[in-house]
Amino acid sequence: MKKIININFHGRVVPIEETAYDILKQYIESLRKHFANEEGRDEIVNDIENRFAELFSYRLQKGSTCITDDDVNTIITSMGRPEDLEKEDMSQNSATSETNSGAGRQSFSQQQYVPEEPRNLYRAENDKILGGVCAGLAAYLRIDPSIVRIIYALIILGSFGFGFLLYIILWIVLPPKSLAATVRKRLYRNPDSRVIAGVASGMAAYFNIQVWIPRLIFALPLILGIITSIFRNAWFDFDPAPVFFTGGFGGTLFVIYIILWIVLPEATTASEKLEMRGEKVDLESIKNTIKSDLEGLKYRARDVSAEMRERAQEFTKDVKQATQHFASEAAPVARRTGSGIGHVIGVLFKAFFLFIAGIMAFALIMFLIGLLFSGAGAFPFRSYLVSGVWQNFLAWTSLVLFLCIPVIALLTWLIRRIMGVRSRNNYLGYAFGSLWVIGLISFIIFISMLLNNFRTRASMEDELNITQPSTGKIIVRTTEGKVSYYGSDWFGFDWNNNGPFYSLNEDSVMMNTVRVNFTKSQDSNYHVQRVRFSHGNSPAVAKSLASQIQFDIQQKDSFLYLPQGFAITPTQKFRNQQVLIVVEIPVGKRIIMNNSIEDYHWFNINVNRRHSHWDNEGDDYWSDYNPVASDVEYIMTDKGLERTQKIKEGSDEEDNDNTPHEGYRYKGKTDSLKHKKIKDTIKPKATASVINPANAESKKPFLLQKEEWKEISGNSSLKEPGNDSFYSPFNILSKMM
Amino acid sequence: MNACYIKKILVMNIENTQSQMRKGILEFCILSIIRRGEAYPSDIVEEMKSANLHILEGTLYPLLTRLKNSDMLTYRWVESNSGPPRKYFSLTEKGLSFYKELEATWSELANAVHALANKTDSMPDTTNQNPSF
Repeated sequence: MKKIININFHGRVVPIEETAYDILKQYIESLRKHFANEEGRDEIVNDIENRFAELFSYRLQKGSTCITDDDVNTIITSMGRPEDLEKEDMSQNSATSETNSGAGRQSFSQQQYVPEEPRNLYRAENDKILGGVCAGLAAYLRIDPSIVRIIYALIILGSFGFGFLLYIILWIVLPPKSLAATVRKRLYRNPDSRVIAGVASGMAAYFNIQVWIPRLIFALPLILGIITSIFRNAWFDFDPAPVFFTGGFGGTLFVIYIILWIVLPEATTASEKLEMRGEKVDLESIKNTIKSDLEGLKYRARDVSAEMRERAQEFTKDVKQATQHFASEAAPVARRTGSGIGHVIGVLFKAFFLFIAGIMAFALIMFLIGLLFSGAGAFPFRSYLVSGVWQNFLAWTSLVLFLCIPVIALLTWLIRRIMGVRSRNNYLGYAFGSLWVIGLISFIIFISMLLNNFRTRASMEDELNITQPSTGKIIVRTTEGKVSYYGSDWFGFDWNNNGPFYSLNEDSVMMNTVRVNFTKSQDSNYHVQRVRFSHGNSPAVAKSLASQIQFDIQQKDSFLYLPQGFAITPTQKFRNQQVLIVVEIPVGKRIIMNNSIEDYHWFNINVNRRHSHWDNEGDDYWSDYNPVASDVEYIMTDKGLERTQKIKEGSDEEDNDNTPHEGYRYKGKTDSLKHKKIKDTIKPKATASVINPANAESKKPFLLQKEEWKEISGNSSLKEPGNDSFYSPFNILSKMM
Repeated sequence: MNACYIKKILVMNIENTQSQMRKGILEFCILSIIRRGEAYPSDIVEEMKSANLHILEGTLYPLLTRLKNSDMLTYRWVESNSGPPRKYFSLTEKGLSFYKELEATWSELANAVHALANKTDSMPDTTNQNPSF
């Protein structure tokens, strides 16, 4: 009964009896000692081990379950034990063999040190990307060619091509030679496990670490970019600019990756793959390496001076020869060089496209994440838009499937590639794909259902009773309500009071899609018409929704108070309800529009372009401005409204004054007349100070009534952000859950 | 004990001479096998065995490495469908000229040895000759 162990012998898993393994180990060790003074010791032992591995695999292929003691002993006998080899080799040291034979065999290991052949600088013929110069240097210095190549690539980059000139000179000067591998471990690109070019997995094999570590390091800037942008979105600091390579760190890593891609050869054959993994680094091998290095150093120091002299003498001869050689080599090398340069250019092209593709993919992810968050941001508005279980379901489906799935799929793909997971089937891909298609379909259905709700429009027109003002003048303004509304930062979009609504919560939304128009009265009385609009999926629904709008006007002598807006409840739904107030002014009477009217925002959703409106103007865009300038007194004449006071500055306005047209709209420059909005200024005092200059200009003192003052100052309990008008990501998430 | 010691030296010396003889021609034999084309070490061993020239594989590897390091041989890796990749050796130009020199030397040597070994007539009797001083 024997224990069988698995050993990794020259890249192959070999089941072997433990005792047989001990025999093998002992034998190899004795060979190592035997060839200690041989120049190519490692190579010889390596070759013999290789032969062992081959014979083992033959034995295993023949059906043996494991390698036994007998197997190992048979091979050892055919190979020859050190003693046998010694016998055969003895003639080599014929001078000493005579005495040796008498003194016994132990003295053999105490042989004098045989200096290794002075090493020369060659071009490596068997291991090259361009001319083998780097590999030759590496062989001379006894280091990994890849390291020399990396350093050389950096030198070429840093010296703006001088390094390349030096390379060509060395290429011509150095004689080519097929060099034996000096190191047993080399940096390769690993084609078996790669995401882009196998650089990271090659590094992992070289440093004997998990493959995801270098991958993660290379992918870090990308991942960091995604994470930071998620957080940016989450905190409403909306920044669509993709931070693809976060700073110089990411850029440097990218350049390093490209250099490695160019410089490192791909491990294609089994022997190269063995070299890529190298042998296990243990104490013994480290000791050996250091020992041989120290021995080498002694001779190298001596050799270098001798070599330099020799080289100098032979230089001219060499150059001549080498040039000839170079020329004769030109034909085959030209091909290989071509392929080498082609490789470099190819990699650069690939890198370029990778870069572009990366940026595009990244931008796509960012876009999706942005959409996802704005989709989640629309959540509070959902109950006003969506009706019924079916639509709710569709809304959720499209949000989750249409927007979440691509993000999740991309992240999954990235993580799987980094972790090196490879599935043979594409079930996950199909699953993601079909779920996304379902999401897309439900999204389309959802959107079309939503649009259907806005298909028809209906209006309710009624006249409001007002008493004729004694002063012959009407001042139109909004009530300073009990609550002041702020343009809250609505999911990254700073409406800055330009939104179509003031406030949004679960109970109601305050719409301010109100417009005030002025027209000439047919008789000598003021009239006020109220037109309420609503959209709906049928005229009847639209009509009933329009009638549900609560918008009542109060009058205090010459003051006409309009509500700040009207509320919509979730049961009413948002169907683009609008209110139009038409003030009919008799000829000779005056009108002033307070600038609070400008806080109304007409806002029109027009799904069906075919139908005509009662009032076409302003329907196609957000008409944030009113036909008349605020806080300016107008008088109705036969031609239309005219200012009672000419404005001193700005001739443009006068031109517009003289050419009033249908609807009494000032086409241009009305913005220049716009005053600072009262709403924006929190303090009542500021409110007054804004109003006053405007009134002073018109030379008609605008008197604030005492109650009004109180009303304004009573308002100082202002709504703080962070109440229900403020939505934090946690708020949204907790609502979504 | 003394006799035994002498015998041992005698035996060793015979072995030593034999191995020296073999060693001298070993390189030539190997080169003449590789001359015919790329060769794998174990094939070389087989080839030599079939020519009734026994050699341990363990002897061959250092020899090949030595020849390779002195630029006589070069090798390339060949993937094998079973087991690890194999080193196939072939001659370099230097190796070929080296081989040709060896061949010339060998044929001279062989002729000489053959001639000497096959001479059956006894050596001219020197005892009867008078030195001519």
